[in-house]
Amino acid sequence: MNVDRFGMDTITLAGPLEAKLRAVRDGGFTQIMLAARDIVGHPQGEAAAIAAVKASGLRVTGFQVLRDFEGLSGHLHDYKVDIAKSMLAMCKALGAPVLLACSTTSAHAEDDRARMAADLAKLAMLAVPFGIDIAFEGLSWGRFVNDVPAAWDLVERADRYNLGLALDSYHMLATSTPLDILDDIDPARIFFVQLSDFMWTSTPTPDERRETARHFRVFPGEGVHSDAIAALVRRLDENGYAGDISFEVFNDDYVQMPLDTVVARANRSVQWLLAQVPRRSLPFRRRAG
Amino acid sequence: MQEQNPEPRNPLGMDGIEFVEYATSQPQALGAVLQMMGFVPVARHRSREVTLYRQGAMNVIVNAHPEALPGMSAPGAHPALSAVAVRVRDAEFAWRRALDLGAWAMPTRASVMELNIPGIHGVGDSLLYFVDRYRDFSIYDVDFVPIPDAPAHPPALAGMHWFGVVQSVFADRSRDWVDFYTHLFGFAPLPGGQYFGILPKGTLLVSPCGKFYLQLIEPPSGAEDIDWEERLLRVGIGAPDIGAATKLLRERGVVFVDRAPVQTSDKGALTQIYLGSVTFELVKGDLSPARAGSGS
Repeated sequence: MNVDRFGMDTITLAGPLEAKLRAVRDGGFTQIMLAARDIVGHPQGEAAAIAAVKASGLRVTGFQVLRDFEGLSGHLHDYKVDIAKSMLAMCKALGAPVLLACSTTSAHAEDDRARMAADLAKLAMLAVPFGIDIAFEGLSWGRFVNDVPAAWDLVERADRYNLGLALDSYHMLATSTPLDILDDIDPARIFFVQLSDFMWTSTPTPDERRETARHFRVFPGEGVHSDAIAALVRRLDENGYAGDISFEVFNDDYVQMPLDTVVARANRSVQWLLAQVPRRSLPFRRRAG
Repeated sequence: MQEQNPEPRNPLGMDGIEFVEYATSQPQALGAVLQMMGFVPVARHRSREVTLYRQGAMNVIVNAHPEALPGMSAPGAHPALSAVAVRVRDAEFAWRRALDLGAWAMPTRASVMELNIPGIHGVGDSLLYFVDRYRDFSIYDVDFVPIPDAPAHPPALAGMHWFGVVQSVFADRSRDWVDFYTHLFGFAPLPGGQYFGILPKGTLLVSPCGKFYLQLIEPPSGAEDIDWEERLLRVGIGAPDIGAATKLLRERGVVFVDRAPVQTSDKGALTQIYLGSVTFELVKGDLSPARAGSGS
């Protein structure tokens, strides 16, 4: 595994965008996962945020997050299409190759898998002229899609080349998803992997999963599921996954710590992960396929 | 369990290319090139700096109107292939269906009493229009004024007709665009290895009406340094006899590239680049001009 495949996620760090970019770059990382609020919440505006990202020299891993897109109808669907267009335009401006979309939690969504797949196909189509991939992630508290098998089912039904999966170790651990599902998935259809652990052994209810996910995640190697995370990364590696791996660590304490301290923890996590995976050099692919 | 009804092969009732459009700030220069290729200026737009050129069943619109659409660049000195209009059974149906499937709508630019031709965004800055008025009367009857003494229907030189459009795509993006053209329009990719003309590369798609092709070309491998963008590159023009067509066009001053690997042959020919960006590819293919122009 190549160190350059690991990236930081801005949501793990406190402070202004420029400070995050500087800390990540100074910490030796070469890529950054951006969130919409980094861009639209920039005090000097969107253009300044985009310029800061470009000036950082960091490669943009992807852009997050489009929520609650699939399964809506009528004006709610139209509204979400508008939101998606706006996010795709930001992706394009940032040079982000992937937009992360996570499974719906909306009470207004309908459990109609054919419609949900058609919605994801539409989202992927909207992204084609921009050259952007859509990575669909099953949130562990998603209303209808809450694990990898269900998310993969929708991606397969939608059947668009620029639509694939985003895997997040947190959600897989929270729902105790067996790794065998990965053997059924073409690794080229996994557009993006996010890694984090957490401190409790189990999260049985959706509310607990959401609460833990948003406040108590830690870097791989720091939590109580190290063996499971190592097994996940090994399985991805064995199956030929050659895309990016980003640390998405929502943690209330990390956003109260100096940025370089958090980035140093991330670096320890990279070293821990590298030690879990046999040292063979997979060709690094910029884009799955 | 929902029954999976296959989509009809030609869901839009597509029926060939109505026109292709170039955007340029030098319309006279491009006009001269088009005339050398056998096109004749037949009409001018009522309100904008737009001219219609025609030969046989091929219509070319040269758009020099400086007021670009929101988000689109104004025409530059190098002419750009900026739009392709396809004939369909019902333009509104085709447009709404495309939007439902994830196309981006194009804002209208029709003025008062002009036709509002529905369109969607295509590759780069280009647009794809849907036209359904081509049988009883034509869209040009509304928006264009005939040029005095110009023939309304100049015949095609050497039986030339539209063969297709070539588009550049980024590395590994061909299949995204195959999805785009397959699902929005009903194009079908041809099996690998089936090519026409003298540039046998990339991915070839046939239109659902069988009247023209799209060719998607990725950057050559090992050419990461070249400045590659996604856009419409050139049109392909079919001709039943390439030797006769190139002879006729050479006499009119057209220069063909005559070195490997794009040497003129009985399969096809490629013109030199005009005005920094415009080339025409001649192709001998299996589309007869009768079929291409029949509108059936």
